[in-house]
Amino acid sequence: MSPNPRKRPAPEALIAGLVVVILAALVIAVFLTGWGSSLYPPDAVTQQGRDVRGLYDIVFAFGLAIFILVEGLIVWSVLRYRRRPTDSDLPTQTHGNNIAEVIWTVIPTAIVLFLFVISWQTLNKVDAVSARPDIRIHAIAGQFQWQFEYLDQDGKKVATQLTPAYDTATGAGGMAVPVGRSVQVTLDSPDVIHAFYVPRFLFKRDVVPGQTNTFEFTVDASEAGQVFRGQCAELCGTGHRLMLFSVIALSPTAYDAWLNALIEKSNATPAPLPSGTVLNVTAEGIKFDTTTLDVPADSPFAIAFTNKDPAGVTHDIDIRDSNGTVVANEDTINGGTTTNYTINPLPAGTYTFFCSIHSNMTGTLTVK
Amino acid sequence: MATHALRPAAPTYSRGRLYEWLTTTDHKKIGIMYVINSFVFFLIGGILALVVRTELAQPGLQFLSDESVYNQIFTMHATLMIFMFVIPMLAGLGNYAVPLMIGAPDMAFPRINALSLWMLPLAGILLVASFFTGGSAAAGWTSYPPLSLDGPLKSPGTGQDLWIVGLILIGTSSILGGINFLVTIFKMRAPGMTLFRMPIMVWTVLVTSVLVVMATPVITSALVMLFIDRNYGGRFFDPFGGGSAVLYQNIFWFYSHPAVYVMILPAMGVISEVLPVFSRKPLFGFKAFIFATAGIGALGFSVWAHHMFTTGSVFLPFFSLMTFLIAVPTGVKMFNWVFTLFRGQLTFSTPLIFAIGFLTMFLIGGINGAFSASVPVDFALHDTYWVVAHIHYVLFGGSVFGIFAGLYYWFPKMSGRMLDEGLGKIQFVLMFIGFNLTFFPMQMLGLAGMPRRIADYAADAGWNDWNMAATIGGFLIAASILPFIWNVFVSLRNGKIAGDDPWEGNTLEWATSSPPPPYNFDHLPEIRSERPVFDARHGRGAH
Repeated sequence: MSPNPRKRPAPEALIAGLVVVILAALVIAVFLTGWGSSLYPPDAVTQQGRDVRGLYDIVFAFGLAIFILVEGLIVWSVLRYRRRPTDSDLPTQTHGNNIAEVIWTVIPTAIVLFLFVISWQTLNKVDAVSARPDIRIHAIAGQFQWQFEYLDQDGKKVATQLTPAYDTATGAGGMAVPVGRSVQVTLDSPDVIHAFYVPRFLFKRDVVPGQTNTFEFTVDASEAGQVFRGQCAELCGTGHRLMLFSVIALSPTAYDAWLNALIEKSNATPAPLPSGTVLNVTAEGIKFDTTTLDVPADSPFAIAFTNKDPAGVTHDIDIRDSNGTVVANEDTINGGTTTNYTINPLPAGTYTFFCSIHSNMTGTLTVK
Repeated sequence: MATHALRPAAPTYSRGRLYEWLTTTDHKKIGIMYVINSFVFFLIGGILALVVRTELAQPGLQFLSDESVYNQIFTMHATLMIFMFVIPMLAGLGNYAVPLMIGAPDMAFPRINALSLWMLPLAGILLVASFFTGGSAAAGWTSYPPLSLDGPLKSPGTGQDLWIVGLILIGTSSILGGINFLVTIFKMRAPGMTLFRMPIMVWTVLVTSVLVVMATPVITSALVMLFIDRNYGGRFFDPFGGGSAVLYQNIFWFYSHPAVYVMILPAMGVISEVLPVFSRKPLFGFKAFIFATAGIGALGFSVWAHHMFTTGSVFLPFFSLMTFLIAVPTGVKMFNWVFTLFRGQLTFSTPLIFAIGFLTMFLIGGINGAFSASVPVDFALHDTYWVVAHIHYVLFGGSVFGIFAGLYYWFPKMSGRMLDEGLGKIQFVLMFIGFNLTFFPMQMLGLAGMPRRIADYAADAGWNDWNMAATIGGFLIAASILPFIWNVFVSLRNGKIAGDDPWEGNTLEWATSSPPPPYNFDHLPEIRSERPVFDARHGRGAH
């Protein structure tokens, strides 16, 4: 058939065009006015993160242009080509157009090849590791806690940070790094897969048991004094959400002081056992060897605690009263180590002792 | 060639209707039962999603006191939605439509077809029953070892074993169904129905079946190895016994990425039928569309490791390049769809509205894909809520909107009655708004650093508002399902009589009665193009 191309009334085309232009303008306005900033990652704080951010912005610009083009075409067609009661003849039966097919094959191919090439270039920068980084940290992610071993240039451990998250009240905890220096992190897991993720780094890397992953970053000098939130990003079990950590950016001198303090703390000998009641508790296989402990009321006592789980699996013994108030909050120790906890006198009553890392490790402490 | 004399003699005795449905080998009844079974699990999976959204509405653990329960809920949400809803629902629509569309009396192997169907409720019951055996699987629908292995703090319960057995059953059902589709499509086409006159829906089912037959045995091997590791002391995936944790991921995604195309290609097929019918134009670039479908199928086997960019064990440039390239055939399809609407005469019946919903939402999911293909960008986005947004824009905005387009499109053929247009439009509006309110904010959450699969988050992380919005959206989606159920319920009794061809369709299913008789056709129109019923209606000259 050869229908005469029927003239459509102009208003429909006008309205459709107007709506498309207004919608496109709205979308663009959202980004120009900053309302669209939530569709961008947060500002990067590392050299590598800024490279990723630059790449993101390019990919996003292409994505936004394609979004506006195609959604605009859809909205235009929906508004413009509504079937009207007078439309009894068929519209022109267009089966396709080879030139159009070539255009929308070749141009997208060129775009994705371009994006691939710049992604690859960025990848080579982001993923690069040097033979002699300024700082080496060995991060161990175990269910459900991080620990950070600080290594010297030969890879020998000099100190271990067992408190992964920064506490604003006490200033303790966290993985400190000096700004402006290259930091190389090696990742290991003693149990399941975890992932080291710091949103402000625009980066994550899986912590895979049986293989050691390595990555490197340099925090911008302007970020000294900042604390960045980090979190496990790979489902690792019932405590997944609790695997929080912090990265503390310090000036190089502040970092040296911080590290020396940590070395001193790591080397400190455990406090000698006081005279009086001493309880022996062992943790092995994510379990305490006892679920009941008895101590006399109103006198101090000590717990000699042994962690027989593999290195990387940390435990502690905290105590809460029957109201749920924590009355003793002790430091975690690594697998394969021992410590002595000295507990202040407790009034008579029934308490719960528990591992703060593993919610299944609990027992009853009877004070009488 | 005008008739098919394939009607067997009528049975000499009659059975009850229920007995007839339970023992049928009629592909139409089997297809409808696939749809019903899948819809039941869609409801269960949806309720699980509401539990997740309720817990995440505000920081703090309010609703689920036990985090292990939370892990079970989201694991089973994804498992049921993927394996018991989207895949079998599309298989069901294919089961119903493919023999009709190629002018065949039934599937090639009707009894195997019934077997494929009945394995599914069994698998579904096993999966759901695991909640009552001390807890279901809780290691995510991906069930990565070592977390999915036996052991304290890992997955010691029988739930994980039931999950493995359920998935193997579903996989077996898929393989049987895939072989059945392939033989049906290659051997049962009516005279004149050449490969390049087959409707796009049939082409997408064909490519999907190739993917299923090639990829499903591979995941079955991973599941069997996981089962051996868990129960008989195997060390395939135990990194501390000489095995490899990442090996599982390679095998798992070798299936599960093609499975994404298994979940989207037939939905693309549905809207490729709907858009031309309601635009009164042929599909723009019919052959280009077929090549794009085959291209997606082929490339789909070379992109699996983009799910593993952050493992440190992937040849990154290769998988990045292939993942970027697969955007090209997908883009070709998008332009072909849009130019099918262009200069058409659009009738905004419910199937078309859902198909346009597919286009607008799938576009966002597709653009998101380019971000994941860019390895450094993926380092930032992987395993955050951004990925959750991406898969839902593809699998909900794409597949589920496509599924509803198909249900509204073929309901008159299945039942002989029309669904109510008003209720259909109410469903669409609620679902479209709810969908975007739920999943658009998840992109922001992911960019702001919220990891997926966490039961709780800090109140000062800046994630509160978007999470609340997503939860409200989730309940809107749930509300949108109610008018649909009511619509089906009412229309089955009082719906307008459909007649053979209520939509002025193009393909052969509209050339028979609604519902079609057993063995489908008394007469077939001449098949001279991909639109035989259009040709019969308008004359060959209109083509």
